[in-house]
Amino acid sequence: MTSPTGPEASGHDQGKAIAVRTEQRWAIVSASIIVLLVAMAIFAGIHRATMPQTWVEVADPQTLHISGEFVESNLGSAVEANGSVTVRVLGQQFSFTPQCMLLPAETPVTFRATSADAVHGFLIARSNINSMLVPGYISVLPARFDKPGDHVMPCHEFCGTGHEGMWARIKVIEKAAFFKLAADQRRLSCVDQ
Amino acid sequence: MNAERLFTWSNRWFSASVAATAGLALVSAIVGFVILPYAAPGTELSGLWDAICSAAGVPRAPAQSKMITPTFKTSNVVVNAQMLGPTDSRSIGRGATLALQCAICHGSNRQGQVDTPNLDGQPGAMVYKQLRDFQTGARINTIMGPFAANLGERDMLDLAAYYGSLPRQRGSRPDPTVAAPLIVTVGAPMRNIPPCASCHGSSDIKLGSASLDGHSAVYVKAQLEAFATGARRNDISQQMRNIARQMTPTEMDDAARYFASRP
Amino acid sequence: MLTNKKLILAHFWLAFAIFGVALLLGEWQMFARSPLNPWASSAELYYRSVTAHGTALGYVFPTLVAMGFGYAITEIALKKPLIGDRWAWAGLALVAIGAVTAMIPVSIGLASVLYTFYPPMIGNPFYYIGIVLVVVGSWIWVALMSINLAAWKRENPGKPIPLAMFANVAGAYLWGWTAVGAAIEVIVLILPVALGFRTTIDAGLSRVFFSWTLHAIVYFWLMPTYIAYYTIFPRAIGGRLYSDEMGRIAFILFVVVSMPIGVHHLFADPQVGAGFKFIHSVFTAMVALPTLLTIFTICASAEIAGRLRGGKGPFGWIAALPWDNPMLLAVTFSFLMLGFGGAGGLINMSYQLDSSIHNTQWITGHFHLIFAGAIVIMYFAIAYDLWPHLTGRALETGRLMKAQLWLWFVGMIVTTFPWHYVGILGMPRRMSSYDYTNPAIAPQALSVSISVVGGMLLVISGALFIAILIRGHRAEQVDPGEYRFSLAVHEPVKLPTALNGFALWVTLMIGLTLVNYGFPVAQLLALKGNAVPAIYMGTPR
Repeated sequence: MTSPTGPEASGHDQGKAIAVRTEQRWAIVSASIIVLLVAMAIFAGIHRATMPQTWVEVADPQTLHISGEFVESNLGSAVEANGSVTVRVLGQQFSFTPQCMLLPAETPVTFRATSADAVHGFLIARSNINSMLVPGYISVLPARFDKPGDHVMPCHEFCGTGHEGMWARIKVIEKAAFFKLAADQRRLSCVDQ
Repeated sequence: MNAERLFTWSNRWFSASVAATAGLALVSAIVGFVILPYAAPGTELSGLWDAICSAAGVPRAPAQSKMITPTFKTSNVVVNAQMLGPTDSRSIGRGATLALQCAICHGSNRQGQVDTPNLDGQPGAMVYKQLRDFQTGARINTIMGPFAANLGERDMLDLAAYYGSLPRQRGSRPDPTVAAPLIVTVGAPMRNIPPCASCHGSSDIKLGSASLDGHSAVYVKAQLEAFATGARRNDISQQMRNIARQMTPTEMDDAARYFASRP
Repeated sequence: MLTNKKLILAHFWLAFAIFGVALLLGEWQMFARSPLNPWASSAELYYRSVTAHGTALGYVFPTLVAMGFGYAITEIALKKPLIGDRWAWAGLALVAIGAVTAMIPVSIGLASVLYTFYPPMIGNPFYYIGIVLVVVGSWIWVALMSINLAAWKRENPGKPIPLAMFANVAGAYLWGWTAVGAAIEVIVLILPVALGFRTTIDAGLSRVFFSWTLHAIVYFWLMPTYIAYYTIFPRAIGGRLYSDEMGRIAFILFVVVSMPIGVHHLFADPQVGAGFKFIHSVFTAMVALPTLLTIFTICASAEIAGRLRGGKGPFGWIAALPWDNPMLLAVTFSFLMLGFGGAGGLINMSYQLDSSIHNTQWITGHFHLIFAGAIVIMYFAIAYDLWPHLTGRALETGRLMKAQLWLWFVGMIVTTFPWHYVGILGMPRRMSSYDYTNPAIAPQALSVSISVVGGMLLVISGALFIAILIRGHRAEQVDPGEYRFSLAVHEPVKLPTALNGFALWVTLMIGLTLVNYGFPVAQLLALKGNAVPAIYMGTPR
């Protein structure tokens, strides 16, 4: 390519100026699209559509069964003083404990979950609850189920040969029925149902 | 060409790109570390510094809550690769001596015993964990309980080292005509039953699990039933109970018969 | 001016041979987990196959294409023989040896950890050593690209670096730095455990290091494709590149912002603070910018070609394009798939939308559409374009090539659209089998079966591609003339220093990485009591 010289140069430069202008307009459009996307994310964050867990909590994966909130008898659904429900869940090769989680409809629910061995996935089908369980850390997930029903809950992260058999269940029941069951302060689950 | 200096604020490419990158990082940091944490409900921030720390990922202690403690003994064994410590020949030798009293029920030469596991060649981690659980009462057995009660920590480690060092013996009733049933190879995923093979032999052996090849069918079936009913609860956090509870009696039989038929 | 033709051909052939095998594995996996397969396949074999497929296609195949194409670009664009061709052969040997070393334990079931490693699962050490060798081999290429460019710049002070070489070196620097994350993960965290020096590992920290590599690796795969868009496509359809400088800016943006955004793969992870997730999310949005700029520039370049061919009016130029040209077909398909895949990517990027599809089959559909679709179809086009210059023989030009590209495009759409759909239905990924008799899963059966059919089309297309290349070696000898890259409408005469080198951009890339990753990594390093015992795979003891 020869460089423009003499009288041709002005035409060349003019063409180039137009090209650059068009390009800049497109760049502005592109940047605006991106600004809009980020603004949407900030808006959703301020108005608390699902947002990432706001803090980090750790738990020694080797001693979960000996002490702390993830001992066997403390797993399952617990009613809190403010009327919300906390569900403690442990993931390990190749099941979640409790294997069937019992929850009330129309009630704020918080899952507190961790893993005792590999990385596991935490997905409740037909809901927006979708997270990871990483050994050493506690995943805290707020949730709310509008109506009673059953959901499957597969582990969606490869956790070893046997991963494909790691499916738990979620059973959401009427609020009143749940709180009646919870009256005696046990941890609730639907494992035996 | 007179070299245009790049790393100087008077170069507009340098100043613009550094300013844009730093500006973007700064704005997103202010939103991510200050504005969004304050918008989050239930974070109970004690101030700006707390907001920044929690958004940065500095761990917080879990809030204290009421605990339900177990009404029965659970296993307190920490299963990991170092649990047995280094194995040496002295440990194996001591284990061999101790194992003399076990051999009548658990050795390769046990006579007429079909309901006890042959421990020769079993993973040491499993042997140690079961002994400890018998001792603490997490696993209950009228015969094994008293035996285990008299063992010291060193004894249990030595026994584990000894059994782990032995070659696995041939099964008592090898039968190559028994094909692996689906419950062993595929499991029943939607009932949360992974393949037995993924922890107990063939595909993989999970640390702390027994190798079931050649095990007595009566024993395997009895343990599956005990896990299913909750009579046996020393599996950590219900790992085995979750599975056994979902198995049908036929599936238990199939699995038990298959493992007994393995060479 | 191509002197090291054998070197380049060796890279391409090794790449495409690996691609062919991995493609068959991929189709087998789709079949194995579909309802078409009687319900008894071995989960263990499936995970072996997934590990092999991912490792081959994620680490080895695109790396070899980038390396081979990179050597070709160096010689063609700089018009001089490659400096350090012996080192280049050594790099290729390392990649080949590494690939074999990694594949042996995988194929005998000792490293079924999938190509994303997944600590605390730990495979046979040779798997990781093999991957390290592949990466080290590719780093030789990175160094050679840098050295060749530096030598050319010394000989041509002040002259604009040809765009193809500029983009090529951008890709090399991007890869050089991006591979560091996984390299740290493997060498510092995983290998000591695999070799038995340590028995516990911090799974959360490993995932953070891996995310450093995981996202930008996609842009590394993408580089040859974008280079072809900018520097081959306009020439191949008889047009000119709309803007050389905009091309440079797009590649610069990739270098700077495609790296420090990997935490968006960890949106759902509990070990990273929400603030860093937000920052990474913003920079992830930024990485859409170079792609949007590219779409504009390339469409404008196509318009130039259309108008040069006599196309009139706002759309008339489209009809005037040479639609029987395989390059045009490939770029059109590539853009369509990039469009769909990019839209999906915007969904993944947003935390709120991501939570409905995270780790479902949607994600697998998404990255197959982008990588195996938009990117790989351009690898085909690059090979078609270069082959006569490498072999000195004519390449089948007409129907077969077009049929192959059509089959790949249709196959990819038929494979990935149902895949996206079952993801929305909540089908988890990376599972060896699903019980389609269960009412919760039954609705997904049809879509999964359609995907298998799409996969068959892809296998046919892949076989056709290899057949076309083999035929190229047997065809009559021709003189293809000198290979040249596209010219811009306004070729740069003199460029600002910033646009004619990488000093500033590599500094920004590293600086931004430190800002975005420094604290999360340091913080996790300082934590105690979160290590988890290693789970050794496939080693009965």
